[in-house]
Amino acid sequence: MLILIFVASSLLLIDTTTQWLKPLRAVFSGVVTPIQALTLFPNWADEMISDVSSSSSLKEKNKLQNTELLILKARLQKMAELSSENLRLRNLLHASELLKNNVLVAELIGVSPDPLSHTILINRGEDYEVFKGQAVLDSEGLMGQVIEVYKSSSRVLLISDSLHAMPVKISRNDVRSIAEGNGSYGNLTLRHVTSSSDIIIGDLLVSSGLGKRYPAGYPVGWITSIDKIKGSPYLNVNIKPTAQLDRSRYLLLVSQSVEKFGVGQDAK
Amino acid sequence: MQNNDFIYVGLSLFFGLLFQIVPIAGFTAYWRPQFLLIITIYWLFRNPSQYGVGFAWLIGITLDIFAGEMYGRYAIGFSFCAYILTILSKRLQHFTLLHQSLLIFFVVLLNQILVVSVSVLYRPSWDFIALIAPAITSAIIWPILLLSFNKICNR
Repeated sequence: MLILIFVASSLLLIDTTTQWLKPLRAVFSGVVTPIQALTLFPNWADEMISDVSSSSSLKEKNKLQNTELLILKARLQKMAELSSENLRLRNLLHASELLKNNVLVAELIGVSPDPLSHTILINRGEDYEVFKGQAVLDSEGLMGQVIEVYKSSSRVLLISDSLHAMPVKISRNDVRSIAEGNGSYGNLTLRHVTSSSDIIIGDLLVSSGLGKRYPAGYPVGWITSIDKIKGSPYLNVNIKPTAQLDRSRYLLLVSQSVEKFGVGQDAK
Repeated sequence: MQNNDFIYVGLSLFFGLLFQIVPIAGFTAYWRPQFLLIITIYWLFRNPSQYGVGFAWLIGITLDIFAGEMYGRYAIGFSFCAYILTILSKRLQHFTLLHQSLLIFFVVLLNQILVVSVSVLYRPSWDFIALIAPAITSAIIWPILLLSFNKICNR
């Protein structure tokens, strides 16, 4: 009994303080991944049932998706113009690099059984050149970052985990801050916001790109409440994440590649 | 009977593990019963001479591997609970279902306290509900589990 407790405690100590167990984790991931995927059976069943849906509902869905496509296409036209304008302006500033984001689609295959830990398992790993620190998005906003990469799966730390903090800025006026997770899916907090800063309820926070972890400009959350605490120089600011942290099943992995343009191109 | 037991043990633990790791959205995840722990306890009750602390430790480390965060914390929790139950095992035979449920409540609570206090060493936040909620749901589910398992295994 004592020996077992001792072995478990030393394992704990080794695991939290060193990287020695990393190869072991990689080995176990081969066993864990298929069994984790097995727990998604209800989702498969659900999808199979909805696949056999009636033609009328399919038609309706098709119609809805067509209108959505039209709206998105209209937005994209505007985007094309804006990005060319951005390019021209950057050229004027002699900025010679443009960051281009490449996207890889991944599917969620597991969630940590411990409700205090907000980590998820996704079905892309070394095979798809996923790397540690890579940003993960869903269709609405930032979800988190990759913390461990295995052969064909990887583990993602969500922005709502209490171990997670990320640099953000307010999209309206570029005021910078740090958004911290606090262990609840629907709420993040801003760190050290002085009571004189220009910040209002409803502001959209986007990733600022500082810290070189997350690409800049992806939405993180909306400010839902700003409270003044008596005797404290800082405000208590709550954010609602735009991403559906506990619901999204299809995620995007973003990686940046640098594209040269401008001065160099002109010279050619 | 003894040989058949292994199949039942393996199957029940496998499904227990599945129930333990199946994704549950948001706040409901706190109320998930500790399926794997109470199934381990069931086998400890049923056959204390064969399944003991070492068995619980192995199940705990398996759950650690699946949780993938810190290896060893469920192993500590499970083996500690199993140790207490093996000490009490003679007396437990005479407990009524209600008493057993109450005992399960405290054992799961102990497990949660151990597991959460280990994770607090490394993660700044914790929640009282994470301690108490699984203990309550595990105690509620225990009579159902006990009676149905007894029915299946004694066939």
